[in-house]
Amino acid sequence: MRELKISGLDKSYGPARVLRGVDLGLRAGEVHALMGENGAGKSTLIKVLAGIVPADAMRLTVDGAEHRLVTPDDAAALGLRFVHQELNIVPSLSVAENILLSRRTPRRLGFAVDWRAMKQRAGEALARFGATHIDPGARAGSLSTGDRMLTVLAGLVAADDTAPSVFVMDEPTAALTHAEAERLFAVIRELQARGAAILYVSHRMGEVVEIADRVTVLRDGAVALSCAMSQTSKEGIIAAMTGRDVADAYPARQTEPGQGAVLDVRDLAAGPASGVSFTLRPGEIIGLAGLEGSGQSEILRAILGDMPCSGTVRHEGRAGPRSAADAWLSGIAYVPRERRREGLMLSRAISHNVVLPHLSRLSLAGLWSRPRAERAEAEARGREVRLKCESIGQSAGTLSGGNQQKVVFARAIAGAPRLALLDEPTRGVDVGARADIYGMIRTLSGQGTAVVMASSDLPELIGLSDRILILRAGRQAGIVPAQGLGPARLLAMIYGDASVEAAA
Amino acid sequence: MTLASHLRRYGTLLGFAAMVVFFALNLPDTFLTARNLLNVTQQVSMLAVVAFTMTVVMAMGDFDLSVGAMASLAGVVAATLFVAGWPVGLAIAAALGAGVLAGLLNGVLVSVLGILPFVATLGTMTVFGGLAFVVSDGRTIFGRDIPASFSGFARSALEAGDLRIPALTLVAVAVLAVIWVVLEQTPYGRRLYAIGGNIEAARLAGTRVVKLRLLAFCFTGLGAAIAGLMYASRVASANPTQGDGLMLDAIACVFLGMTMSEEGEPRVLGTLLGVLLLGLLDNGLTQMNVDSYIREVLVGTIIILAVASGRLGVFSRR
Repeated sequence: MRELKISGLDKSYGPARVLRGVDLGLRAGEVHALMGENGAGKSTLIKVLAGIVPADAMRLTVDGAEHRLVTPDDAAALGLRFVHQELNIVPSLSVAENILLSRRTPRRLGFAVDWRAMKQRAGEALARFGATHIDPGARAGSLSTGDRMLTVLAGLVAADDTAPSVFVMDEPTAALTHAEAERLFAVIRELQARGAAILYVSHRMGEVVEIADRVTVLRDGAVALSCAMSQTSKEGIIAAMTGRDVADAYPARQTEPGQGAVLDVRDLAAGPASGVSFTLRPGEIIGLAGLEGSGQSEILRAILGDMPCSGTVRHEGRAGPRSAADAWLSGIAYVPRERRREGLMLSRAISHNVVLPHLSRLSLAGLWSRPRAERAEAEARGREVRLKCESIGQSAGTLSGGNQQKVVFARAIAGAPRLALLDEPTRGVDVGARADIYGMIRTLSGQGTAVVMASSDLPELIGLSDRILILRAGRQAGIVPAQGLGPARLLAMIYGDASVEAAA
Repeated sequence: MTLASHLRRYGTLLGFAAMVVFFALNLPDTFLTARNLLNVTQQVSMLAVVAFTMTVVMAMGDFDLSVGAMASLAGVVAATLFVAGWPVGLAIAAALGAGVLAGLLNGVLVSVLGILPFVATLGTMTVFGGLAFVVSDGRTIFGRDIPASFSGFARSALEAGDLRIPALTLVAVAVLAVIWVVLEQTPYGRRLYAIGGNIEAARLAGTRVVKLRLLAFCFTGLGAAIAGLMYASRVASANPTQGDGLMLDAIACVFLGMTMSEEGEPRVLGTLLGVLLLGLLDNGLTQMNVDSYIREVLVGTIIILAVASGRLGVFSRR
């Protein structure tokens, strides 16, 4: 294989166009970086390549000859191999068994496992990456993350007889230490030297600039930039990633934040983040910015009382809630990050999803439910969030992603909260629903609800927030006013390339 | 709706109707009579009580394997206290209390410690079964040790014209009413279904998951104890294994009921249909002198058919 090319790739989920006419060319011996903000379409593109998700339209050629890619088997036959963020290993089996998992087990007498042959072949596969320090007989679960990654890679090259020609790596360094990442880069260069093409997906600008030969940037499902690495720069990539017009898309603030403190957080440490301190006034919106996994979700969970933390949280002058149930009772609403896993009961009616935290309030003395009152409340809130559904009684799982998120928002606004905690409020939401959600956040703030919002969509964070709290290297690096801030400058602050203090 | 989705939704109901028609044709004089049907309700009353309260934990996506052992234990506790000379009311209260405590233990293991319900209640099933032997010393307690006022209850009935509605049937109806109200008409019940829908989402939306699950297991323990006492009253004796058979049948009834609900969720009225299906099947087969082993084969087949017809819709959607 010299070149695997896809062109005109279209993919929609319901009304949301996730990928629009994407072209991508992967050449033998080249590392091709794929970049873009969350929701830009990277993961969908990978799923299409893996044959997990069918494209609506796509032309795929290998050295000019057209091929079809509809199932995972097609992907394997084309020589595509995937290294996902979550490493697929079986921790209870040995390294050798993991490496040869998808092959026929070497046998003696036709039925007994030939352990010696197994270890030898696994050892050979590992040696190709210079990973001779890994014992093929060790339990895979006892390995460090970096060594697990090498085990997975060894499994990919040992997997079958089709020579792997394209490696797709999705955030491979996300969980690796610096030394482990360096070893991985050496392996990548080794693969490259043997003529493999590598599609490298990462948020980490530094390493992309270091190892990639070409770069493609996706923005809102379309290619915003595609060129040789030598023809662009960090700044160029950032500009391509964020290049949306911030001013127009976000409704302007209509009222000024009130006086007093709704929320007072002092020296909070939760998950990977520590040293977080801020005070929030009624109607004020503070944004949490940082690389993915910097502790944004954990900070919100800690304020919600759903996660162990140190430091103090005071809500309206009292100690913060001790559980999510406490939080909802004291007027705190929460929109979780993963709406399908953490937000919704997909099999249950929309109305039930909306009123769940408010069941007691809508009942007679907390003892007797009033289905009609619940329905009326769900319908009213549904209208408020411009929910599109046939009936409030249909199950939440039948809605599109954007409408599902509106259900979660309807739940949040139903109690007229004093404080709203929003984790990635527009994640995987189409453009139309996004605008509605922005409108809702503004309305909430206009009514005096204080908002803490985590988002990896930087223009959105700047467009809605009054102030932005920047997390860097596990600590609060500072709080900057959102007014007049550009996405590129904010991203530079997150990477540590621009000083936060200078802006504050 | 497609044929497949109709079958999915109404397959069990159709099977139920077919069974009734079959027995009515083959037993024209004895099957569809008020007397026989009332007799069936009495026969299934203990199973019904266990199955109704089992619906409560299954609404949360959990289940309880220890109900049979709890029923045996409650019967034995009451009988042992009768022997010790306790007043009937007090002994009954103690037996019900034992059921609630047993349920509480299940709840703590599942909800507070987070052990899988299958493992936790498999363990407590053995523990409660063993305790029933310890309490009764392994003997069957019967005869004069059982007060007439206790065993007489199961023989009593409400006279309505020329119909006699058995007292045990009335108990089952009362439990049905309570569980229906709890599951369908209270915020508590709605929250249980929310937990069953997505426990993580329910917790983050302010549901006190730990407390609610704990309480649900107590309900099931209480239901099992009531059933154990009904059984002991009916046979005027108590032995340490007499309730054991209830568990599998109760779970089967809830599953049969689930195949009839719109979203495939355990609903107590669906469970009632499951109970009646098993009860009428038993009754009809006995009257037709069918071997009881054949009955086991049939029950198993029916459950598999019912659940399989529920899968039909899923396949046609792919």
